[in-house]
Amino acid sequence: MAERGQEVPHGQSFVAQIDYERVRLETQYPKGELLLARVHKQPCAFELIAEFVHCDNRVIEPDEIVDLHQRGLKGFITAHKEIVTIFIEGPEHPYQIERGEHSVAEILAKVGKTPDGYVLLEEKDGPPLPLPPSIPVKISGCEMFYTQPQSGGSS
Amino acid sequence: MPYPTEQTDELKGYCKKVSALPEAGVEYLYLEELRLPAGCTPAVCDALLCPVAKDGYPSRLYFAVQVSGQFARNWNGTVRIGEKNWFAFSWKVDLASPTLAQLLVAHLNGFAKEK
Repeated sequence: MAERGQEVPHGQSFVAQIDYERVRLETQYPKGELLLARVHKQPCAFELIAEFVHCDNRVIEPDEIVDLHQRGLKGFITAHKEIVTIFIEGPEHPYQIERGEHSVAEILAKVGKTPDGYVLLEEKDGPPLPLPPSIPVKISGCEMFYTQPQSGGSS
Repeated sequence: MPYPTEQTDELKGYCKKVSALPEAGVEYLYLEELRLPAGCTPAVCDALLCPVAKDGYPSRLYFAVQVSGQFARNWNGTVRIGEKNWFAFSWKVDLASPTLAQLLVAHLNGFAKEK
């Protein structure tokens, strides 16, 4: 309520349909990344596709600005990417990889390392923990990995 | 606790609770429900981190049970601390001046490394 006791008008909001869900946005010109975020998805794992009338579809890049009022725009759908992004040694170091199961050696090879010299750690629901090289790692996109020199041994 | 607070705080991410367990002149760190690496059974387990030299090792990590992982380990340490039995496998960590979290992860690497 304003000081004069009147309702403060809400800012203008815009509606977009994403995966058949209506979401409200504060701007008419959101970026693709923002639209994905409104349905709790990230560009490291998901693609945003704009659907137009006459069955015309177009992939929207994360940095691309979309006009929600553009002619013919029906809404958006999301799709799991086949080539996803993982991060090794921090979010500033992205790497592309096919979605699915990969060996620890394949992931370490992205940064020019091998299991002989390095341990691969994954940050998942807590701080990074070592991954045994004998178990395949399931990649869905957005996984965060770290490496650490091998530092112990059976005595 | 004689260990730096920022280092013991860092350990809290790995387990439900961290507390000091002093016994026989050693300040152990009791790690309640420590998360273990993928492939371990059980997946979580109470553990005791001994960051100082003991039993001929520069540091040790004791577990409330003998954990099974991807590789067979030489469980050569059974001790009674805080009125409980604890088990450790032969694993020597050779890091120079590690933080407590680095030391813990280096011990957990024992489940992810063949030898």
